[in-house]
Amino acid sequence: MKAFVTRRKRPLAVLSVLGLVAVASVAASVSGAQARSNAGELKGAGSSFVAPLVGVWQQKYEASKGVKISYNPIGSGGGISAITNKTVDFGASDAPLSADQFNACNGCVQIPWALSATSVMYNLNGVKNNLHLTGPIIADIYLGKITNWNNARIKAVNPGVSLPDKDITPVYRSDSSGTSYNFTSYLNTVSRQWKSGIGNGTTVNWPKGVGARGSSGVSGVVSRTEGAIGYVDVAYALQNHLKFAAVQNRSKQWARPGLLGIKAASLADRKFSPTNALSIVNPPPGKKFRKAYPICTYTYVILRLQSNQASLLKPFVTWALTSGQADGPRLKFQPIPKYVRTKGLAAIKRVHS
Amino acid sequence: MAVASRTSSGPGALQRRGRIRPGDAVLYLVTLAAALSGVVLLALITREVIADAWPAMQKFGLGFLTTQAWGDNNKTLFGAKSFIFGTAVTSLGALLLATPISLAIALFLTELAPRWIRSVVAPLVELLAAIPSVVLGLWGILVLGPFITGTLGPALHGTFGWLPIFSSKPSVGSNMFAAILILTIMIIPIVSSICRELFLGVPSELKDGALALGATRWEVVRGVVFPYARAGIAAALILGLGRAVGEAIAVTQVIGNNVAIHADLFKPGDTLASRIAGQYQGADTALQVASLVYLAVILLVFSLIANLAAQLIVRRVAGRHQMR
Amino acid sequence: MSAQAPSADLFRSERMRRRRIVNAIVEGGATIAALLAVGVLVIVVGSVVKRGWGAIDVDFFTKTPALYTGFGPRPESGIENAIIGTLIIIGLALLMALPVAVLTAIYLNELAPRKLANVLTLAFDVLNGIPAIVLGIFVFVFVVVGHGQAAWKASFALAILMVPMIARSTQEVLALVPASMREASLALGAAKWRTTLSVVLPQAVGGIVTGATLATARAAGETAPLLFTSALYSDAVGYDPRQPLASIPMFIFTSAEQADPVLHQQAWGAAAVLIGIILVASLIARWFADRSVRRLKGER
Repeated sequence: MKAFVTRRKRPLAVLSVLGLVAVASVAASVSGAQARSNAGELKGAGSSFVAPLVGVWQQKYEASKGVKISYNPIGSGGGISAITNKTVDFGASDAPLSADQFNACNGCVQIPWALSATSVMYNLNGVKNNLHLTGPIIADIYLGKITNWNNARIKAVNPGVSLPDKDITPVYRSDSSGTSYNFTSYLNTVSRQWKSGIGNGTTVNWPKGVGARGSSGVSGVVSRTEGAIGYVDVAYALQNHLKFAAVQNRSKQWARPGLLGIKAASLADRKFSPTNALSIVNPPPGKKFRKAYPICTYTYVILRLQSNQASLLKPFVTWALTSGQADGPRLKFQPIPKYVRTKGLAAIKRVHS
Repeated sequence: MAVASRTSSGPGALQRRGRIRPGDAVLYLVTLAAALSGVVLLALITREVIADAWPAMQKFGLGFLTTQAWGDNNKTLFGAKSFIFGTAVTSLGALLLATPISLAIALFLTELAPRWIRSVVAPLVELLAAIPSVVLGLWGILVLGPFITGTLGPALHGTFGWLPIFSSKPSVGSNMFAAILILTIMIIPIVSSICRELFLGVPSELKDGALALGATRWEVVRGVVFPYARAGIAAALILGLGRAVGEAIAVTQVIGNNVAIHADLFKPGDTLASRIAGQYQGADTALQVASLVYLAVILLVFSLIANLAAQLIVRRVAGRHQMR
Repeated sequence: MSAQAPSADLFRSERMRRRRIVNAIVEGGATIAALLAVGVLVIVVGSVVKRGWGAIDVDFFTKTPALYTGFGPRPESGIENAIIGTLIIIGLALLMALPVAVLTAIYLNELAPRKLANVLTLAFDVLNGIPAIVLGIFVFVFVVVGHGQAAWKASFALAILMVPMIARSTQEVLALVPASMREASLALGAAKWRTTLSVVLPQAVGGIVTGATLATARAAGETAPLLFTSALYSDAVGYDPRQPLASIPMFIFTSAEQADPVLHQQAWGAAAVLIGIILVASLIARWFADRSVRRLKGER
């Protein structure tokens, strides 16, 4: 019997090493856990639209206040469900909570904390940036009615531009997306067929094209696919050096998703909904809206009114609404207007631990 | 020649001499509890998944399976038809491609190859099975996709464009065809390794007899090996199909996530598993969540039936062959 | 040579030639198929190594992902959090799965009445075939909803995946232990439990290691269960299994679909690390499998 045991030492040794590794990693976790729970850390998730700005905020806030913020850009829908399920300290969404979602969240408050535009980006070699596109054309592309870049209607609004004979591949968000909500809300206003057939939402039944996860996913597919068109927060288009269109607004101007265009669009709605939402899609014609870019949106942070991270959350969101706005313009986030900031600061006061 | 076999002692062994030793009782109970975990888990999984799909099951009933919609009417209408179609097309397509290749590989490794080649190729084929699906998906997005849009797609469309499955030129690398190719790569090692075991189990006297009668090697395979291993091959194919049906990650990376139904393989689509993986994290209404879990119920039912069938075939075959 | 029945000869050799041609075609086809499989493997692994090699340096293992906002120099970035997270998640999963699997195998092989053993084995085989995504949903609704994500919940899901594999491997090697050894021990007066633990089980250690390493290799690459249980992780290195932790498969999954080519290269690098882990584990498993089977067969 002893002879058996000694000869079996080697596999037994490996088995005990495996076991030791497993136990050691657990032990390390447990001891590490004690040390880690003292450091201030905030966990957030949601909109990929606002992720570039939150990224800058993460770095700056940790550098100045020492609080670590982790953020997962899983999409606005993910942010809403995460804060509803209490798996994060704050959620971020470009699509405002619906009445049902608000009730399901059960004690949440929604605060607009950033403002930017959804660019319509495309991948066409040899074609200039800022191609002119009208709302109806974009809608028909996504409906599958316009299938080639050299379509007469696109040519008509782009005199002098030589458009190639290339299939158009519409790219959309396959996950629950606030950017989708913004884009489809816009399409609702420019296409009756879209409004009656498909409608707006964070998830809709896209008739044609290819889906990708997250704003970065859409940028990825468009950058890889010749002839693709997609909608994404303008910061992604800039970051990935993708071309985006000048979209015709109601004042018949070709508006670009820059700070001026966003600022003009933000004047379109000053009346907050009961849940602090504002809708600035496709502003009406008028002198102050001449430069308005028609596909702009506020993006919201969603907090629980009762949170045991309130002592960390309130300073952070306050900072984001005030000093943090200065980091926006570089990424094409227009600083929020004063009345929005005031509303937000008042709303934060309601958060308690 | 002592035959190694499961020890034939059962609960009776505990009661030798009329008393149960406490150590034996403890061992029995502890190990019984562990062994029951399989059944318990199966029941628990089935129950929890059905319970969470219940709101959608109640609202849509079996009509869910024949409705082509997802998030329509302001996110009140959901249906699984597109995904059942997508799952069927991609899995069966992959099986169609994988079957001859896997059988051929198994034949190569058992009948044709000299021993040294066998010892090199066999582990390599098994290594193919070890590649994680997320890595295959990565390869699918960045290598296979451009290859399909650049080379393979135009070639197939050019030659076979009259077939409805290749009726358009792929404009984007995310489509059903890419999913079929990736699933084929996943199925091949599974089916071929099972078939290899089966072919090795064919009694050599049967094969030698056929050879002695003047049959060529292929005729031996066709006349002796395949009929003998017929049921086992069926089980292997079912298991491969089950693997393809259940694959979520690699498929969601390359299939394009579209709800439309068409015969054209170069267009994007979606499968049951892939839709769950893609949307679950962001599902923001209760009905959407329940509908996604309903998709999981369909997957679960299918995989339970397929696995049960495959396992029962394998057991029957093993029993029959042992009796010979 | 004058033919006795020339037409019969010609007919026979004609058919023979056709049969030989068919045989050659099939043999050629089989060789091509095998080469195809090996070729695909070489292409995939080759792509991973070729494209990921550039990303692998010391920083890759010691730094965490750094956010690049598009302005200024790119900060150094690595996947330290993902590597540590994977080690912890898999380690915990192994800790959960190993005892259950070994005890299960002991019951099914040593103690159970045959009919019950067959039914329970069938249950495990069916469990093995449940898609990982369904397991992910199950663990999500069972422990995550309302309580939050955590690495140990990911380990739980992976353990469910691993138990059938380890149990089967253990069962196979337990079955190889000759009955004479058990009978000798029992004849000497040892209790059943003593026999099992001290005589039979040590013989099976090789098979247990094989099963454990193969199951670990498989679990290390699974992404679907992680989507539901450990997806909201931070970029910093974490050690607390009660929080969601980063993992290599999730890193690859999220990086693959981005537009940034540097992230692509990192994804390839992470894939290379993952394949490396799996390769090493498979080699260990194979070595132990050969050894233990050879030893047990030789012991007769």
